[in-house]
Amino acid sequence: MITCDEFFAEFGDYLDDRVSPEVRRELELHLSQCRACHVLYDSTCQTVKIVTDSGSFELPENVSESIIGQVMAKLRADQA
Amino acid sequence: MSFLPEVALSEDFQPFAWFREDLGFIPNLLRAQSLLPRVIEAQAAFEKAVRLNQGAMSREQKERILLCVAADRRDVYCAGLARTALLLQGEPHHRIEGLAQDHTAIGLPAAEVALLDFCRKLASRAASVNLSDIARLRQFGVDDESIIEAVVITALGIYRCTLSVGLHPQPESEPWNLPAGTKVSATGAEGSARPPKGPYVRAPYLSPETFAPFATLMKSHGFIPNFFRAQTLLPDLLAAEAELSAAILLPEDPLARSQKESILLAVSAANLNSYCVAVHCNLLRGLGLPAEEGDQIAIDHHRSSLSEADKTLLDFAIKLGTRFSEFSLDDVDRLRAAGFSDAQILECEVVTALNNFANFLQAGLGIEHDFDPPLAFEQKKAHLTAVFARPTEQASPVSSAAADVEDPDAELTAHACAGNLEAFEELIRRHSRLVYRALTAILGNQDHAQDAMQDVMLSAYEHIAGFQSRSKFSTWLVSIARNKAIEYLRKRKNEVSLDESVFGEDQDFRPRELRDWVDNPEQAYSRQEIQQLIEKGIMALPAKYRTVVMLRDIEHLSIEEIARQLGLSVPAVKVRLLRGRLMLREWLTPHFAPGARRATQ
Repeated sequence: MITCDEFFAEFGDYLDDRVSPEVRRELELHLSQCRACHVLYDSTCQTVKIVTDSGSFELPENVSESIIGQVMAKLRADQA
Repeated sequence: MSFLPEVALSEDFQPFAWFREDLGFIPNLLRAQSLLPRVIEAQAAFEKAVRLNQGAMSREQKERILLCVAADRRDVYCAGLARTALLLQGEPHHRIEGLAQDHTAIGLPAAEVALLDFCRKLASRAASVNLSDIARLRQFGVDDESIIEAVVITALGIYRCTLSVGLHPQPESEPWNLPAGTKVSATGAEGSARPPKGPYVRAPYLSPETFAPFATLMKSHGFIPNFFRAQTLLPDLLAAEAELSAAILLPEDPLARSQKESILLAVSAANLNSYCVAVHCNLLRGLGLPAEEGDQIAIDHHRSSLSEADKTLLDFAIKLGTRFSEFSLDDVDRLRAAGFSDAQILECEVVTALNNFANFLQAGLGIEHDFDPPLAFEQKKAHLTAVFARPTEQASPVSSAAADVEDPDAELTAHACAGNLEAFEELIRRHSRLVYRALTAILGNQDHAQDAMQDVMLSAYEHIAGFQSRSKFSTWLVSIARNKAIEYLRKRKNEVSLDESVFGEDQDFRPRELRDWVDNPEQAYSRQEIQQLIEKGIMALPAKYRTVVMLRDIEHLSIEEIARQLGLSVPAVKVRLLRGRLMLREWLTPHFAPGARRATQ
């Protein structure tokens, strides 16, 4: 079985589903037997999901419209 | 008290009489829907067709599935309802307690244990069900008819639970102190290579000429969805489903059809169900909604042009349908405050329950698409499923294809280059959020980001004639934002830490926090609390990690795209992304570890 260091080296690619089926099998075998890596994997997946779902850093519609309005007013004035 | 008022219906009301005969009482779950008697009638007819008609499975087997689904969801009301039905069938008390705790330990035949394994997996992790789960059932001798019935019963269990969360009916008897359940055992090939596609069970051809429900569907939908075609082995069940869905969805009152279709679309999207997203996008188009509007509802309804009231309606439905443990009377009151009547709120809950029924049934039978879902929705889903619910059939092809798609802004950009201000306005409107997030990521401050946006947009217009179409417009725009942000930081004499040369990549970084997280961390906090927590955590990251994490996990750009936009190598982006995610994980762990104080940030 691969070591925790070897697992960690592939971890980023595994999270983004960028590993070959052979590597994936090795990583999953390791995950099924190593509690520490499993906890790390599981909580990192949760992190990505929560960030993705959170809709954070939303630009309020009125702020966005006001900025665009100012930009366009300036450009139209320049053109005229 | 239930969340919604009841009106008195005659005790002779046919559905009531039927339930009294079946269970000895009229379930409060039904009484709580008395504002819409037609819905009660449709549900009763459906329950009768599913639970009582002698099919491939026995009545006891069906009630056991309903009990397990409710117990896993910690739904005391629905578990109690299934318990009553089982007691009436002569199941001893201790076996019912045992079933709620661990279905493998009460001496059921191996085939039924396998079936319950499957149903519990479907109810708790629908996205991970695949053909290997069906193959396992077949090894135990479970036939296709039983598989369909088991999937429909599981979906009915989800339907009931969704309604029970939304209506909050009083239990008819002493509330059941549910035993702590066992973890759903992992079956099937969860982490193996991509599974073959569905449909999972045989489906003989039925003609609309001879099978009346198909003729009706042709009239109402203009086509016969694969959803129904996949269940032709059990035509009576299929007919009952078609009637239930017509009775709930077709009337224009109290909610309009388009509102109901929007609910189905938004909740399906929140459940990441591509099949149902595609169907409802199509049906909304049929109701006169522009295609882009449907796509926008699927991706983020807050940015659609629905009325504020309708956005609130969708917030409500999504919470009820997907984050049920957070749902409370406050949510009902919020809809009332937005001007919705109790009958409309009830209908919204029923439509949400029906939606969940359809989403789980589709996943359980592996029903194939009728239409292509919106590409942007698939990108978001691919991003989520790639990291979360592997394996999925679409994840990789879509995400890699997305990196190479032609620039969707090409035409507008050409007009803008020729001096067309309207085209330019549309371009910056499309990408204002991307610019804002890129600026926020680099500047580490949302107010400064808002201040810098005007500069970025004006600078983009000034230089647009020199835009060569070698990259996508959005890539070019972000590179302007990046330069403006760095200039801004330099003026303030802040450290500029985006270049690879400035800092090493800290190859030896290893996480320290190795505490386990709770099962459904998102459910411990409100959406607003989660947003604040994430924003605080991301702002605490060093700029070079923050930028990559935001572009990847919030803007859903591919790694290659981020590399192009930031002028970094692909390996450097990967290292920073992992590092940033791990740092954020470390930062979040104290909030999501078991026993963490549920604090408002």
